[in-house]
Amino acid sequence: MSNPVPLTTDHPGQVASATPPAPGRSRRLSDRGLAVAFISPALLLLLAMSVFPLLWALYLSFTDYSATRGGPAHFVWFENYTAILTSAQVHLRALTTLIYVVGAVALQTVLGFAIAYLISRRTHGRGLLTTLFLVPMMLSQVVVGLFWKFMLDAQFGVINSMLGSLGLGQVEWLTRQRTALISLIVVDTWQWTPFIMLIALAGLTAVPKYLYEAASIDRASEWFRFRTITLPLVWPLLLIAVLFRAIEAFRLFDLVYILTSGGPGVSTETLSFHVYKVAFLGFNTGTASAYGILMVLVVIVLTQLYLRYLNKLKED
Amino acid sequence: MAAMLVATTMAACGQDDGATSAPKAPATIPELTKDPLTLSFIWFDWPPAHALEAFANAEYTKVRPNVTIKVNTVPNANWHDAMFTQFAAHKTDFDIPILDSQHIGEAVTNGNILDITDFVKKNIDVKAYNPYLLAAYGQYPQAETGKRDENASLYGLPLLGDTWTMIYRKDLIGDKPPQTWDEMISVAQKCQADNPGVSGLAFHQANGSDAAAVTYNTVNAVYGGNLWDSKTRKIDGVINDAAGQEAMDVLVNKMKPLTAAGSGNWFIDEVNAAVAQGKACIAFNWIAASGGLLDPKQSTLGTTREEILDKLGFATLPSQKTNLVPLGGMGMHVSAYSPAANQAEALNFMKWFEQADIQKKWAAAGGVPSRTDALESPEFLNAGPFNQVYADSVSRMRDMWNVPEYARLVDIENTNVNAALNGAKTPKDALNDIAKEQQGVLDSGSRKGGGGL
Repeated sequence: MSNPVPLTTDHPGQVASATPPAPGRSRRLSDRGLAVAFISPALLLLLAMSVFPLLWALYLSFTDYSATRGGPAHFVWFENYTAILTSAQVHLRALTTLIYVVGAVALQTVLGFAIAYLISRRTHGRGLLTTLFLVPMMLSQVVVGLFWKFMLDAQFGVINSMLGSLGLGQVEWLTRQRTALISLIVVDTWQWTPFIMLIALAGLTAVPKYLYEAASIDRASEWFRFRTITLPLVWPLLLIAVLFRAIEAFRLFDLVYILTSGGPGVSTETLSFHVYKVAFLGFNTGTASAYGILMVLVVIVLTQLYLRYLNKLKED
Repeated sequence: MAAMLVATTMAACGQDDGATSAPKAPATIPELTKDPLTLSFIWFDWPPAHALEAFANAEYTKVRPNVTIKVNTVPNANWHDAMFTQFAAHKTDFDIPILDSQHIGEAVTNGNILDITDFVKKNIDVKAYNPYLLAAYGQYPQAETGKRDENASLYGLPLLGDTWTMIYRKDLIGDKPPQTWDEMISVAQKCQADNPGVSGLAFHQANGSDAAAVTYNTVNAVYGGNLWDSKTRKIDGVINDAAGQEAMDVLVNKMKPLTAAGSGNWFIDEVNAAVAQGKACIAFNWIAASGGLLDPKQSTLGTTREEILDKLGFATLPSQKTNLVPLGGMGMHVSAYSPAANQAEALNFMKWFEQADIQKKWAAAGGVPSRTDALESPEFLNAGPFNQVYADSVSRMRDMWNVPEYARLVDIENTNVNAALNGAKTPKDALNDIAKEQQGVLDSGSRKGGGGL
């Protein structure tokens, strides 16, 4: 039987070291050793699958290396970065990506919040409704892309068939410049509005009820309660959801690949899709690495600005 | 991004010896293993891939019972990437990559496939082939149309020949197919006007793979244009010369208005679907992908093959200023990263496959052979109504460039032709952009940073 250990002490570290090992544990494995043993598989995986490739990509971004041509990588320093930042092709894709991100995230935020607000006011069937709304989010993007491709097909698709039965004309959803990008935004909104809805719903259910009760006593209108209680309290949480969605939308690839292949022409080619082409059509690995690093930097910088705004909002 | 990192990391960890030319295969087939062995191919997912697996497992195992043939397939749009990312990693899960004729330059320059010149000299009867077919599917540098350079090296052998066929509705436009391109357009125009709900034409317009590019290249060839001057590597001023401009004008302003609304992303399957559902008067598609059109289960044109054939006709492409047709099909190659036993088996398979009787059996099984005796055989000519079209087209074929920059050149052409067909660019701008951007790719060899943009 071991000696009793004091419950409090001025030197907690000493107490910890004085604690005898649990019965059955090897004496050669210290607490620190055990911690390292538990952490090391995950750490090694992280180093091998994330940190090393990132550092390797950073190195390649300063070279003219090509994965298929092989041979040694020659340092070109910032030439890849300069070429990307001054390329009209890249500027065009950046504009397309920006329109897509703003359009999709704004639409998803408005719809997601509206649905969450309506659900939060229901007392019956809230769980079932929430679960049903979450179904699109659980599907693979490739699957979503494929069935929307069939639905949006101008000749054989169900959407145009419905429009036809209403006496409306056929719309070339995926093959016209104006409609192709809108179609991408609509499909992404269909899949990811539930995500915003879920976060907004969590925020809405966390608003203390007594605030609404106090407002009712003061005979405040519905709009006044929404504007001065609901929105300010849910807003920070909603902004985090917007941040996540914006990052996801910024690196959109799957839907473009399946639905439009970047067409018509290159009018729906996003930055991620363009990186893919640079990386795998010409195997210009150095340029593609620099392109990828720049995209990561853009996300990091925008996220930092965004988080600062969020912190300021919380402080206020 | 993740896939790119994996590929580059594997390349970095692989045996990066800086090789830039193809290693040589032995002239004589090394001793074959008696142990069970799986010989793997890689191709894109379409009927000939499944036909090849069934045919090879049924026939090749008669001579090599310990061997199983596996034809791995990927979606057409991923075909190039699936092969070349593995080549980049210097490790392949396939022994025989089935390359498009235009992929050869990239694979040879990077040392990804074996040089089989000596093997062919010792084991293959090259005189049995139309020289251009042998050159198109295996020779690098590229042959001029209709010629083979006897001194050039060979890196592959023909697996499947192919070209476009014109598919026309006999019940709507008559038994006699149009003979010239202009006549074809006016017949399609009349057919569309006379048959509401049926479009005059259906052809490839998508911006993936080589869909829209092959369509423009075909019209360009028919109207007397050229894609480039291979000797001077000049594209700007060649593809967009007067003939090229006329071809683009015909394609966008005369042919496109005769297609169905929203057909701007159509490729092989969509064109077949339009024909099978009776929605097109005249269509163009690859012969090797046309077999399904005769299947009553997939067609609304008849309940039996004969009924369908009463309505559908297959003909060689109409001519105009020239009678050129696009070269399709693919060759077999040997991965430089395969184990030695598999490389030996691959060479043995190629030798077996190119025999006269096997080529005839391949023809009967639904394949399109390249040996002249097989092409002229009743086994081939009676196997499908479009096979005579192929036999008649062989002497008229023209291919694209098979230079290492092919993937980027075809992407430029695809996206710009697709843009013109869908109203995102004017025909003239699209063609001039193709010329300028493609020339930029060919000229960018000495540039250091920013390649690929």
